[in-house]
Amino acid sequence: MKRVFTFWKKGDSFILMTAGGLLFSIAMVLLMVGIILIKGLGFFWPANITEFRMQSGEKYLGQIWEKEEAHLTDKSGKTKIVAQTNIKIGNRDIYGHDFIWINNNNIVGKSEPANAVEFERWEYGNLYGFIESFTPITPGVKITDSNFFEEADKSLQKALANKKLIERKQSVLNKLITPLSNIQTEISLDEINKTKSSAELGKLRAKEKTIRLNIAPKLKNLQSELLKLKEKNLAITVTIRTADGIKRTFPFAKIIRFFRPNNMSFFAKAGFYVTKVWEFLSENPRESNTEGGVFPAIFGTIMMVILMSIAVVPFGVLAALYLNEYAKQGPVIRLIRLAIANLAGVPSIVFGIFGLGFFVYILGSSIDQLFFSSSLPEPTFGTGGILWASLTLALLTLPVVVIATEEGILSVPKANKEGALALGATKWQMIRKIVLPNAMPGILTGVILAISRGAGEVAPLMITGVVKLAPSLPIDASFPFLHLERKFMHLGFHIYDVGFQSPNVEAALPMVYTTALLLIVIVVALNLLAIYLRNNLKKKYKTSTF
Amino acid sequence: MKTNFKKKNERNNKIASMIISVGGYGVILSIAGIFLFLLYETLPLFSGASLDKVLSYNVSKKKKVVLAGVDQYKELSFLISNNGEIDYFNFKSKEIEKRDTVTLENGEIITSAVRVADGDISLGTNKGRILFLNLNLKPVFTGSIRKIVPCLTQKNIIKYSGENDANNNSVRLLAFSENEEGILYWAWTNGENRLILKIYDPDEDEFYEHNLSEENEDIKVTAITINPDQETLIAGDNKGELFMFDLSDYSEPELIDNWKAVKSKITSLTFLIGNNSLVVGDEAGEVKVWFETRKEGSDELKYREIHTFAKHKFAIQSIIASPRNRLFLSIDVKGGIHLNYSTTDNTQVEFSDGNTSVLAGCFTPKSDGIFLVNNDNEVSLFNLDDSHPDVTLTTLFGKVWYEGYGKPEFVWQSTGGTDSFESKFSLIPLIFGTLKGTFYAMIFAIPIALLGAVYVSQFAPKNFAAIVKPTVEIMAALPSVVIGFLAGLYFAPLFDHHLMFIFLLFVFAPLAFLVFISFWGLIPERKRRTFPPYAELGFVLLGLVVIYYISSFIAAPLEDIFFNGNMKQWLYSSLNITYDQRNSIVVGFALGFAVIPIIFTISEDALSNVPPSLSSAALALGASKWQTVKRVVLPAAAGGIFAGVMLGLGRAIGETMIVLMATGNTPIMDWGPFDGFRAMSANIAVEIPEAPVGGSLFRVLFLTALILLIFTFIINSFATYIGDKLRKKYARY
Repeated sequence: MKRVFTFWKKGDSFILMTAGGLLFSIAMVLLMVGIILIKGLGFFWPANITEFRMQSGEKYLGQIWEKEEAHLTDKSGKTKIVAQTNIKIGNRDIYGHDFIWINNNNIVGKSEPANAVEFERWEYGNLYGFIESFTPITPGVKITDSNFFEEADKSLQKALANKKLIERKQSVLNKLITPLSNIQTEISLDEINKTKSSAELGKLRAKEKTIRLNIAPKLKNLQSELLKLKEKNLAITVTIRTADGIKRTFPFAKIIRFFRPNNMSFFAKAGFYVTKVWEFLSENPRESNTEGGVFPAIFGTIMMVILMSIAVVPFGVLAALYLNEYAKQGPVIRLIRLAIANLAGVPSIVFGIFGLGFFVYILGSSIDQLFFSSSLPEPTFGTGGILWASLTLALLTLPVVVIATEEGILSVPKANKEGALALGATKWQMIRKIVLPNAMPGILTGVILAISRGAGEVAPLMITGVVKLAPSLPIDASFPFLHLERKFMHLGFHIYDVGFQSPNVEAALPMVYTTALLLIVIVVALNLLAIYLRNNLKKKYKTSTF
Repeated sequence: MKTNFKKKNERNNKIASMIISVGGYGVILSIAGIFLFLLYETLPLFSGASLDKVLSYNVSKKKKVVLAGVDQYKELSFLISNNGEIDYFNFKSKEIEKRDTVTLENGEIITSAVRVADGDISLGTNKGRILFLNLNLKPVFTGSIRKIVPCLTQKNIIKYSGENDANNNSVRLLAFSENEEGILYWAWTNGENRLILKIYDPDEDEFYEHNLSEENEDIKVTAITINPDQETLIAGDNKGELFMFDLSDYSEPELIDNWKAVKSKITSLTFLIGNNSLVVGDEAGEVKVWFETRKEGSDELKYREIHTFAKHKFAIQSIIASPRNRLFLSIDVKGGIHLNYSTTDNTQVEFSDGNTSVLAGCFTPKSDGIFLVNNDNEVSLFNLDDSHPDVTLTTLFGKVWYEGYGKPEFVWQSTGGTDSFESKFSLIPLIFGTLKGTFYAMIFAIPIALLGAVYVSQFAPKNFAAIVKPTVEIMAALPSVVIGFLAGLYFAPLFDHHLMFIFLLFVFAPLAFLVFISFWGLIPERKRRTFPPYAELGFVLLGLVVIYYISSFIAAPLEDIFFNGNMKQWLYSSLNITYDQRNSIVVGFALGFAVIPIIFTISEDALSNVPPSLSSAALALGASKWQTVKRVVLPAAAGGIFAGVMLGLGRAIGETMIVLMATGNTPIMDWGPFDGFRAMSANIAVEIPEAPVGGSLFRVLFLTALILLIFTFIINSFATYIGDKLRKKYARY
C-alpha cells in the first residue's frame, strides 16, 4: 500500500495516465477506420443465403445482416433481453420491406439451400428465392438437369443483350427526333411569346415539315423494330419461388445478374467480389443512389479538384513568392501572414456562403446577363455549378498552398540564392533556377494537402453546385465538351445524401460505408504522399546547410 | 547580342516581378474581399427604413375621397369619392384614365369605406345602405407590355332590416371582413349609438343580422374591427374599454369578454396580417398592440398588451395595416404619421403628408409604397424601402414576444406554412448550439489530446512516437463528412442501444483505470526501471482492454438493478429526460474526435520544443520524471498548449458536417447532454439553399457567417499571438 502511495506521490502514475490517453485516441482512430473497413469491404462479398424456419411455420430466406440483444418489455412491464437477428430478405416488391428482425428463440431450424438464388435487379433491390422455370434457349431444360443454371444464365445474357440493343436503338431514335422536336418547341414557344414575324414563322413551319417528312420512313422502321425487340424481350421470362412459396414470373431483362452464393467456392466468390468492386467504381448509381456505382461522383470529385488546383496553385505560389522574395518584411507583411494563417481556420461554410453570394449570385448572374441572356430567366452560370464550387474551394485551400510553399521557399539556403545573385542573375532568374526547383517538394506538399482537403470537404460544395444526381457529367461529347456551368456529384456529398436523405436508409447504408471507404482511401493516400514529400523536404534542407 | 540578352533578362525580370506582385496583392485583397463581401451583404439589414415621395397631384376640391388604392406595380391608382365616383389615375401618363360611378340614390353620399385584401369593398352611406362591390387592378400582358386594367363588379346592397332611426341612419363606423370559407362579416354603427352586425354564410346563402346594442345599451362604441379567423368582433368605447363578441354562432352572437385597454377614448382598431395582432389607437395618441396569449400555467387565451409604440401628439385617427408584413401606419388627426413595425416595437419612420390630416390611404400590395390622400385633396405616392423591418439587434440577440408565444423568447424559426407567417430570427439559440457543441467536444477532446501529447513528447519510446504522430495526422485528415456520418448512423444508434454501457465508459471506466494503474505501483520502483520501454504501454493497454470488458459485462446487470432494466425508460420516468438519439454526447464524441488531432499536434510540438536543457537541469536536481514534466516542461509549453486548444476550439466552432449529421438540428436551448441543438454553421448549410436572395433570411445567414468568421479570426489570432510569444521566449536557450 505504501508503495502505491509513493507511486502516486512521485507521479509515476501520471505517466501511465498519459499513456492511457494516447492509447485511447489511437483506439478511437482504429475503431473508426476499422468500422468503415469492415462494413465497406464486406458489402460486396456474396454472403451465404440462409433459410430460417420459425415456430409459427413462417420461412425466411435471406442474408444475415446483424445480430443484437434487444430490450423487450412484455405485457407485465418486465424487461427481457432477447437475442435478435436482422435478415435482409429483399423482395421489396413482394413484402414491402427489405429487412426483418426475428427473435432467435423462435427459430426452429436453419439451412443454407444450395440452389437458393440471389437476383440483382435494376429496380426494387435484391430478390432471394429459387428458380422454378425460365424460357430456355435450348429447349427441354429441366430443373433436375445439371446444366440448369448455366442454361438460365444463357437466357439472361440473351435478354440483357436484347435490352442493350433496345437501348441503342432508342438512342438512335432519340437522335433522329431531336432536330424535329427542337423546331417544334421553338414554334410552340413562339405561339406564347409572339416574338417572331409571320415570315420567320412560316419558314420554321416549312422546315419542320421537311424534316418530319425526311425522317418519317426511318422513324417508322425504327419504331417497329423497337416494338418487336421489346416484345421479344418480354417473352424471355423467369419464374421464381420465394421461401414462403409465392411464385412470380417476370421478364428476365429485369435482372442484372443472378448467382447462388451457397454454391460458390471461395475463389468464385473472390472473382465475383472483384467484379462488384469494379462495377461500384465504374457504373452509374441506381435506385436513387442506393445501388450501382459511384462513377459520376468519382468523376465529379476529380474534376472539381483539378479545376480547383488550376485556380489555387498559381495564385498560392505567386502569393508565397511575393511574401518572401518581393515584399518588404515588416509589420504589414507580418499581419498579412497572420491573416493567411487565420484564413486556414475560417469555417468552410463561411467560404461556401461567400461562394454562393459572390460567385453564383453576383459573378454568375452578371455572366448570364452578358452572354446567356437568351436563356434567362433559366440561369446558366447564375446557379451553382462545378466552376463556382471549384473556385470556392480554391479560396478555401489557398492558405494551405501558400503556407506549404512558403515553407518550401524558406528551406532554400540563403547561400544558394545569394550565390546566384552574385553571379549576375536577375531576381527572376534566381527564383526560376534556384528557389522554385528547391521549393518544389513544398509546393507539391501544398497542392496535395489542398487536394486532400478539397476532396473531403462537403459543406461549401453543397451550397455552390453539388447535387445528389447530376443528369450528365461536366465533360461529354457535346460542344463545348467542358461544361463548367453544370452541377456535379461528389463523393463526400454522396455520403451525406445517401446516408441522410434517402428514403430507405437501412438498405442504403452499405453504399454509404463503401463510398466512405473510397473517400478515406483517397484522402489518406494523398496525405501519406504529402507527409512523404515533406519529410523529403526536411532532408534536403539538412544536407544543404553543409 | 550581349546588350540584347541583358535587356531580355531585365524585361523578364520586370514582367515576373510585376506578375508576382499583382498575384500577391490579389490574394491579399481577396482575403479582405471575403470579409468585406459578407459585410456588404449584411449591412442592408440595419439600414432602416426610407420613404421618398415620388409623385403627387391634386384632385378636385369638390369631392371628398373616402377610399384609395394602388396596383402592385405602382402604375395605376383608384380613388373613391363620397359622391360615388371612382377615378383611375395613371402614374405614367399622369392623368385620369377612366372614371366609374357607383350608383347612389338621390342625395346619398358615402360616409365610410373598407377594402380587404382580395379587392372586396364595402361602402357605407348616409342612407344606411352598404354597397358591396369588388374592385381589382389587374395586370394584362400583351406580349411583354403590361397594362393595368381596373375590374369593377357591384355585388350586393346590404341593409339593416330591423327598426331604423329615421333621422340618423348614416353608416358611421364600418368594419368589413371575410375569411377563407367565404363568410362575410359587416359591423357598423348608426343612429344614436347602435351597433349592427350582419353575417353572410355562402354555404346556406343566408344573411344573419343583429343589433348588438340591444343587450349592451351602455356601450358607447367608438371603434370596431372584425377578426374573421377567430370569428370575433372587437369594439372599443369612449372610456378605453374593449368588448369582444363571439360571432361563431351566427344566429346568436354574444359578448364574451371586456377589458380596459387604454385610458382614453379608443379611436381606431385594426388587425394586422394573420389576424392575431390587434392595434389599438386612442384619443391621447397612444398606439398599442394586443394579442391573445396563454398565461403560464393556464390554458385560457386572453388578450394582453404586448407592444407599445412612440406616442403621437394628437388623437389617433386611423390605423392602416400592411398586406405583407407586420408594418402599420398610425395617423393622428393633425396628419402626423408613424410607420411602425409591430414585433419590434419600432417606429421606423415619422413623417407627415402636408400639414393637414389624412383622408384615405393604403399600402401598396407589395408593401413597397404608401399611397395617401390628405385633406387638401393632395394625393401622394411614397416609395417605401424597408426590406428588413423584422431584423433588428433586438430580434437577433434579444427576447422577442412573438404572436402565439406566452412570453418573450429567443426563437429561431425561419419559415412557416402560411403567408402571414412571421420569420423569427433570434441568433441566440444558434450561438447557444454552437457553444454547446463546442463545449461537449472540448471536455472530451482536451484531456485525451493533452495526455496523449505529454506521453508522446516526454515518455514514449522514440520509435513508438515515430509511428504515432503520422497516425494522428491521418486522424486529422479524415473528412468530417465521414466522421459525421459514422456519428449519426453508427454511433448514435449504438449509444442508444447500449446507453448503460456508454454511461459506464464515461463514469466508471476512468475511475477503474486509476485503480488499475495503481497496481503498477505495487511493483518495486527499482524493478520497474529494468523493464523494457514498452512494458508500461503494454500494461496500460491491458488495463484499457480489461476495463472495457468489465464494463460490457456489468452493464446489463447494473441496468437491471439500478434502472429497472431500461435506462432510457428510467431517465424518462424518473428524471423526465427524453433521450434524443442524435444528442450532444454523440456530437461531443464525434466533434471531439475531429478536434483531438489539432490539439494533440500543436501541443506535442510545443512540448517537444521545450529546450532539453531545462528538463535536464530539473532531473539533475533530483526531480522525478513526472515532477519535471509538471513543474518545468508543462509551464514552459503552456503557451503552445493554449494555442493548440484555441485552434481546436476554432475548428469545433466552425465545423459544419459533423454537427449537421450528428444532431437533430432543432434550435432549442437546453444544456442537457441528451438533447440535440442547432449550430450556426449547420444552420447556414440547412437554410441557405431555400433562402430568397436578398431577403431577411438570406442576409441573416450572411450575418451568421460573418459572426463565425469574426469568432474564429479572433480565436486563431489570439492563438497565433500566444504561440509566437512562446517561441520568442525560448528562442534564447
